[in-house]
Amino acid sequence: MSTNPKRNSDRTHREPPSVSRRELLRRSGMGLAALAMLPLLEGEAARAGTVADARRSHFPGKAKRIIHLFMNGGPSQVDTFDPKPLLEKYAGRELPTGNLQTERRTGAAFPSPFKFQKYGQSGIEVSELFPHVAESIDDIAVIRSMVADIPNHEPSLLLMNCGEARLPRPSMGSWLTYGLGSENQNLPGFVALCPGGLPIQGAQNWQSGFLPGIHQGTYIDTQHTQVEKLIEHIQSRLGSERQRRQLDLLAALNQDHLNRSQHDRDLEARIESFELAYRMQSEATEAFDVSREPQHVLDMYGPGTQARQILIARRLVERGVRFVQVWHGAQQPWDSHNDIQDHARLARECDQAIGALLKDLKQRGLLDETLVIWGGEFGRTPSVELPNPLIGQAKANGRDHNHYGFSMWLAGGGVKGGITHGATDEFGFRAVEKPVHVHDLHATILHLMGFDHERFTFPYAGRDFRLTDVHGQVVGELLA
Amino acid sequence: MKQAFWLGLALTVLCGCPTEVTSQEEREAAAQATNAGQTEFFESRIRPLLVEHCITCHGSQKQQSGLRLDSRAGLLAGGDSGAVLDLAHPRASRLLTAVGYEDPDLQMPPAPAGKLPSAAIAAFSTWIEQGAFWPAGERPGKPAALASDKTHWAFEPVRPRPIPSVQDRAWPRSPVDYFVLSRLEGQGMTPAPDADRTALIRRVTFDLIGLPPSDAEVAAFVDDPRPDAYARLIDRLLDSPHYGERWGRYWLDVARYADTKGYVRLQEERRFYCAFTYRDYVIAAFNEDLPYDRFLVEQLAADQLPPGTDPRALAALGFLTLGRQFTGNKHDVIDDRIDVVTRGLLGLTVTCARCHDHKYDPIPTADYYSLYGVFASSEDVIFPTPLGKPTAGAAAKQYESDLAARQRELDDYEPKQYAALLNEFRSRVADYLIKAIAGREPPQQPLPKAAGEIRQIVVERWIEYLERTGPTHPVWGPWHAFAALQPEQFETAAGAIIAGWSTPGGERQAPRVHATVKSYFASDPPHSMADVARGYGELLAQVHQRWQTLLASTAAAGSGALGRLSDPDEEELRQVLYGDDSPVAVRPLEALAEYLYDAPINEEIVRRRNAIHQYLSHAAGGPPRAHTLIELPVPCEPRVFVRGNPTRPGRQVPRQFLKALSPGQRKPFAQGGGRLELARAITSRDNPLTARVAVNRVWEHHFGTGLVRSPSNFGLRGEAPTHPELLDYLAARFMEEGWSIKQLHRWILLSHTYQQGSGDDVLRSRDPENRLYGRMNRRRLDFEALRDALLATAGRLDRTLGGPSAELTVPGANRRTVYGLIDRQGLPGMLATFDFASPDAHSPQRYTTIVPQQALFLMNSPLMADLARAFAGRADLKSLPAGADRAAAMIRGAWGRPASEREIKLSLEYIAREPADAPADASLSGWEAFAQALLLANEFSYVD
Repeated sequence: MSTNPKRNSDRTHREPPSVSRRELLRRSGMGLAALAMLPLLEGEAARAGTVADARRSHFPGKAKRIIHLFMNGGPSQVDTFDPKPLLEKYAGRELPTGNLQTERRTGAAFPSPFKFQKYGQSGIEVSELFPHVAESIDDIAVIRSMVADIPNHEPSLLLMNCGEARLPRPSMGSWLTYGLGSENQNLPGFVALCPGGLPIQGAQNWQSGFLPGIHQGTYIDTQHTQVEKLIEHIQSRLGSERQRRQLDLLAALNQDHLNRSQHDRDLEARIESFELAYRMQSEATEAFDVSREPQHVLDMYGPGTQARQILIARRLVERGVRFVQVWHGAQQPWDSHNDIQDHARLARECDQAIGALLKDLKQRGLLDETLVIWGGEFGRTPSVELPNPLIGQAKANGRDHNHYGFSMWLAGGGVKGGITHGATDEFGFRAVEKPVHVHDLHATILHLMGFDHERFTFPYAGRDFRLTDVHGQVVGELLA
Repeated sequence: MKQAFWLGLALTVLCGCPTEVTSQEEREAAAQATNAGQTEFFESRIRPLLVEHCITCHGSQKQQSGLRLDSRAGLLAGGDSGAVLDLAHPRASRLLTAVGYEDPDLQMPPAPAGKLPSAAIAAFSTWIEQGAFWPAGERPGKPAALASDKTHWAFEPVRPRPIPSVQDRAWPRSPVDYFVLSRLEGQGMTPAPDADRTALIRRVTFDLIGLPPSDAEVAAFVDDPRPDAYARLIDRLLDSPHYGERWGRYWLDVARYADTKGYVRLQEERRFYCAFTYRDYVIAAFNEDLPYDRFLVEQLAADQLPPGTDPRALAALGFLTLGRQFTGNKHDVIDDRIDVVTRGLLGLTVTCARCHDHKYDPIPTADYYSLYGVFASSEDVIFPTPLGKPTAGAAAKQYESDLAARQRELDDYEPKQYAALLNEFRSRVADYLIKAIAGREPPQQPLPKAAGEIRQIVVERWIEYLERTGPTHPVWGPWHAFAALQPEQFETAAGAIIAGWSTPGGERQAPRVHATVKSYFASDPPHSMADVARGYGELLAQVHQRWQTLLASTAAAGSGALGRLSDPDEEELRQVLYGDDSPVAVRPLEALAEYLYDAPINEEIVRRRNAIHQYLSHAAGGPPRAHTLIELPVPCEPRVFVRGNPTRPGRQVPRQFLKALSPGQRKPFAQGGGRLELARAITSRDNPLTARVAVNRVWEHHFGTGLVRSPSNFGLRGEAPTHPELLDYLAARFMEEGWSIKQLHRWILLSHTYQQGSGDDVLRSRDPENRLYGRMNRRRLDFEALRDALLATAGRLDRTLGGPSAELTVPGANRRTVYGLIDRQGLPGMLATFDFASPDAHSPQRYTTIVPQQALFLMNSPLMADLARAFAGRADLKSLPAGADRAAAMIRGAWGRPASEREIKLSLEYIAREPADAPADASLSGWEAFAQALLLANEFSYVD
């Protein structure tokens, strides 16, 4: 990880006027070397004078970076982290409390076909779907009382990612790279990994909204195994030696131009950007190449695409990437309307790798400052989804979307381990104890990263916008 | 002592604003006049609870759910969900429900603070039972001090400004210069030396047509001895068809142009396949110098202008229609339209007022919904509108017959299904009314429906309809009377209501009750609201049946169309189902978008419609088409949505223009929905914003910064102009002389100010942001100019004008960037990397970021390799000997100026170390790599 990359001072030596340097520092709120990763803002916001303020955390955050494991489609809480034995008693019968209105019609109580058991010192119960994750349960805070607004994928994905269900707003990763920049100038600050295509709502999930475009997530299709296919334009056509000579010529020509141009700060920054790009080629190539991992690490994560992309996520945060979002797959893999047994396959694909990630981060001393988030855009109903011939669903063995109550978990990065927070009702339908709305989760994540969510704003269209809009409360009980 | 301090603090907090704190004496005097015990109780028990637990969210700073608990007035007013106090039934007060945690959806204070101790809850209970005493003489603080909007510069009328005097009378070349120079002189500064002619032609050429000048054009201008050489250059560039491509693209940023709808659900077509006709309209409007006021009117209301005008103008409506579609959520679509109109044309952030009054500008929520009503009174057409007739010839014939065949397929099916759908709604009124009694449901995304399933959308329409009618409505008055009854006493009270109808003499005062409704309920008194619903359902089903029978017999007899039922009583009932504002009168497009048809029918209609769409999207021989909109037969009567929530309609507001921009009494819009009237209000000479905003945008694109540096926010939180008199001078003259953008360019470009050089160290240190325009700003090419210049330099640019959008990222994509396909759901990485305007919403200005991803693209992308090869392979360059001459010619070709000796030397040294032969792999030869370096250079990407 190079937080302080060498300047190629022999090649592009120059002495910019001090005014310019101060200006740069003011605008970026960071060291000059880090500048090129951050945009030079010329927009409305820069002039409103708040950009520099936002470019620093409000207080030292315990978490420095985030891995968000996004189980898109909506994993079921009563089959994973929120055991509800009472469902057995009512199996096949109506819930005495009645069914809440969700996207589709649901029927009788539907107990989980998966067994739960206690793990760790904390004795928190986890289902047999996630045995590897469960081994780290003492590092995990399970939130059993998550709440979203609407039982549909599209608005809920946007709510979870951007804090707003419909209108185009910046995603959490964009806010954080905007606020903190990247620790590594040679890699993008916000990376979205998803194998085989895009999730529902596509690139809107990692949009930068009204923030500068550079803060949007860089999408990587982790279906590919070759590095050149993973990252656009990363491979030099000329080869390293010829490209170096070409860039030296460029630097010399640019330097003459700069000397004639009053050492304009933008010109300088652009000169530097070529040097950064040159270094990025080798660093990014290396970061995405999991074959460089020793065999025992590869074994620990296991086989398959999920293992590879979760390992890539670790390699990225290790190199200072601020926000890595790991999507389970294109569309909405966890959307088990028809048959909850699909959950078993999905969990098998990722459980070992997620368990390995937690242990691996811990062994490397990275877990303390890396926040790991697991969850979907909502959960699923404890009642069975009624068969719907209109959309080709006949099994009556699945569950509908449920935004009234669902589970997510956090680990590392200043989170208290080995606890559960809040609770759903006795059947797992609605959060009844200490409900945590998505806005509250965002407020808490920003807090862990060192931001007061009410003061972390960006002026746009006449108003100061926040990730949490006018909502959100930090959930103090989750903090270590 | 401690207590007194605490009280003072509490008051300060409660009132928010220290100047409004009632003095301790005053308050005490007031308290003495009331029950001293109550005061004591309030101050010692209740106020501390309010201060500690409530007013952070329900006080002067925040008013969650519209509720304030820092004054008795606030307490009595309640919040968005209604009253919080019920002094008649204290125990039923919502405040007690909330603090008692009696309702899982209403628990205050919320987590994590959690439920109050039981003593505190008991205190609240006692307090409310005793009448919720509050000490007299307290007023709440204002939420936020509203700056004086009366004197805000941007709301003042535009006034012609006298030209100021200057000391250096020799310097100014145009009126603009006097304004600029007088401010510079005021600061003791002098303008920068002039740009040389080589720099000037490069600057003005990029500025006006977005392309670099050719070597020949540079030479011709540099050597032109005529005194008006520069003015001629400007005329030539303004006459170029490429001018519209450059300036039209700027407008497309304002208009958040894209070729796709954003995220769409299920089977919906994701492309606006005729969006390009709007883009071409915009380009043509700039090229033809369409007066700006006319340009705006056409974009807002071309469909309502007198016929006989150029049909191409209909394409202008793309300004409204081509926004993100928000998966069919009409409220968001309208919000987007209000935003593009108000920020784009007026520099006002009106959408802030969707949920609450604008916090800074004089824009109340009512104004937002006035505009909402205007846009909700139109509907986008289903099939893009043809702009003119098909051309003659075989292709056109084929087109007409192909299209007619597909249209028949649809016409044979959809109208029948549509009629059946309405028949279903009209026959099942009882079922819908019973659902309506249960009230509104949270909005759901539409999904396919099974046969017989109740359509919630129609239920909502019934609820709205019932709200519109009210207790005096002859048909629905009884409904409202029954609905007001408590279920326990329903039967007795209903009997009394029915009896009241036949009380002798009662009819004189009471509103008329429809005779059939009256006799129906009199003969069979209802036991519950469900009975009432069934009763109305039966009556309406009967009249529906009668009308259908009559229609069928009339049709069989071959007589003319029926207008109405002859019995006025029957006709009055029929209007409920067939009138223009009937709750069941869903429009065909609405029926489809909201999945009102049974799922298989819905699918079949969409299939038949898509066959037409697909044909139109690539049919040869047909006329161009445009995404237009049309007025609805009945305009929307907008209501304010409480907190922006459409399930909570509040008071009705007229469709009318913004109060802040309407001198004197406002006249509600009267022509249909009022779009044309809105357009006229925006382009009125009295409107203080439109011309200023336009002039500022043009200035910004010439200098890199606007005179107002928040180009889409001229409100109280926007920036004040650096040169207010100049802005007004230009705006006044712009309107005076016919809103000509090309004239505006001339006023600016012919100024000495514009012709200054960009380099001046002294001025840079004194005015680093160049707010006084004592030099030209050095500017980086935006993405379009960069890509177009690369293509032009490589000799690859395809200069074809107009036509369908083309993918930019495929090999061999050589059209100008303005013709690129803009997919707002999947904007190519190349565009996002180079700061292209987000097509999600109106874009005030581009960011200028400098990041290594841009460098990586320029260094390693296949496009750049291709262009480097093409540039090095240009016949005029390749024919030169591979040495100094060729290097010099390439430098001139890339940067538009002669090469220096040192540059030639560096270049030749570089070439000498490169492999002599062209490499066999996908790599570049030495000269090609050299060509690429020139394209990567700052001098290529920046304009002085």
